[in-house]
Amino acid sequence: MRRPGRLIAELVTVVVAAVVAFPLYWMVLTALKPADEVISADPRPWTLAPTLDSFTRALTVQSFGRYFLNSLVVALVVVVLSLLMSFLAATALTRFRFRGRTTMLIMLLVVQMVPVEALTVPLFFMMRSVGDAVPLFGLNHLGSLVLVHLAFSMPFAIWMLRGFVAAVPVELEEAATLDGASRFRFVWQVLFPLVAPGLVATSVLAFIHAWNDFLFAKTFIISAAENQTLPLALQVFVKPDQNDWGAIMAGSTLMTIPVLVFFVLVQRRLVSGLAGAVKG
Amino acid sequence: MSLDTAPPPARQQRRATPPAPKGPSAAARWARRAPLLPALIFTIIVTQLPFVATLIISVLRWNSLDPDNRGFAGFDNYAAVFTDANLRSSIVTTVILTVVVVVVCLVLGLGLALLLDQKFRGRGLVRTMLIAPFLVVPVAAALLWKHALYNPEYGLFNGAITWLWSLFGADRPPQPEWISDMPLVAVEAALVWQWTPFMMLILLAGLQSRPMDVVEAARIDGATPWQIFRYLTFPHLRQYLELGGLLGSIYIVQNFDAVFTITSGGLGTANLPYTIYQTFYQAHDYGQASAAGVVVVIGSLIIANFALRVVSSLLKDEVK
Repeated sequence: MRRPGRLIAELVTVVVAAVVAFPLYWMVLTALKPADEVISADPRPWTLAPTLDSFTRALTVQSFGRYFLNSLVVALVVVVLSLLMSFLAATALTRFRFRGRTTMLIMLLVVQMVPVEALTVPLFFMMRSVGDAVPLFGLNHLGSLVLVHLAFSMPFAIWMLRGFVAAVPVELEEAATLDGASRFRFVWQVLFPLVAPGLVATSVLAFIHAWNDFLFAKTFIISAAENQTLPLALQVFVKPDQNDWGAIMAGSTLMTIPVLVFFVLVQRRLVSGLAGAVKG
Repeated sequence: MSLDTAPPPARQQRRATPPAPKGPSAAARWARRAPLLPALIFTIIVTQLPFVATLIISVLRWNSLDPDNRGFAGFDNYAAVFTDANLRSSIVTTVILTVVVVVVCLVLGLGLALLLDQKFRGRGLVRTMLIAPFLVVPVAAALLWKHALYNPEYGLFNGAITWLWSLFGADRPPQPEWISDMPLVAVEAALVWQWTPFMMLILLAGLQSRPMDVVEAARIDGATPWQIFRYLTFPHLRQYLELGGLLGSIYIVQNFDAVFTITSGGLGTANLPYTIYQTFYQAHDYGQASAAGVVVVIGSLIIANFALRVVSSLLKDEVK
């Protein structure tokens, strides 16, 4: 490409990135502004008196730390379990030929389209029954959230991982079998490492999905306040007339940090991970 | 649309050939499959059961405010979905919202992905900045747009307008009430901001997986960048555009947080998920809400298909 064109393209990219990221800067800035600057008719893109007051309010009101931990536990358990289960299910769906396989794959996509609002009631009754049998996975326990997030992150994960499994040549499996490797060994020692980039991409989305959830946490955790998750803590500051915007933005900032950390950790692999999802 | 989940025939045949000269018996084959089956069965139970429950409830007469009158309703709930004026207008809103957001996100995402595909200093930082909106919790993002950006009195947009006006010495700058003047556009803008990074990521993955030797060869043969884009890059990107369009449609059709937070479904922005939410939590009509949910599924499939056609035919016409 010609030099001047390239320079313009780079400049455009940087400007666009600045514009796109500006609302986020604004979020952090609002969290740091003193209360009287937050709501001012003359908003300024800087503050001369940064304060952590909003963060203190967000952290001290209710047990923010406890909610934070709950959210983190649910999200991480969901990530680990959904990776494990969807890797196995994707392998089964790609490598085995059986009747209804294509239907099964399409059904996985279809359930993903059902609005969760329409599923909360059937799921509520299901979780109540589950709770009668295994209390840990019933209503008011974090287990119920893990189960339901698994259900919603797995179809997508399977669909993504399918492409990766399909991209591993069948000859490799044949060679491994000839060399005396059991199927178990092939799956864990050959297939699993080859699919790893896909697992990374999938884990980001599963994490974000479980971390962001508001509706299920609100529906399933009714009376056990100690098992609430983070998005509900944010609601404490939203009141009909007098919203504490500084604290809301501080809470939002705190909620974004784990996702950001998780993302930065896996960022390098993410793009190649998404690329593999399409092959197949 | 790449919903054809079966692998290409050639590969399928190859896979069908068992490794041993004579195929193992059916029992032996199932024994080999056994270790993977629990995952598959668990998936089926956990993902399909709620959907089946929704299908069943959608043909029931079930309103918790009227518990004695519970029974089979046939397609009454579906008839209600299509005849109820509120529900019908929310279907239209959902279609508009989804098509606009998905198409705009795809176009912007493609542009950004093409820009990011080049090597330049600080690319990593720029990429993280561009992806960041996707990482914000949706409720928080919606609150941010509503309060910090759109608010007519202390929001960033009107603040910026005032500043620009004062720069040129003009007083009385326009101070639009963003949300009440253009409610649907306000919701769409917030969604585009949050979902463009997702499309960009998928398309960037597509760009980086394209065979560079062919591009190099074309360049040596004197192809212009535009020719390279329309004859090499774009055909390669098609299935990534399809994937992005499909996933984007699935998520946007279902969007609830932005509509709920920014406009509370008022001013003609109530989409189907929001109406379903109301049917559930305010009218307590489980049957009708479930029927509307099934309609959303069918709608998602149609919209996903349509959005893809639009995007790829728009670009395809230029190729010809």
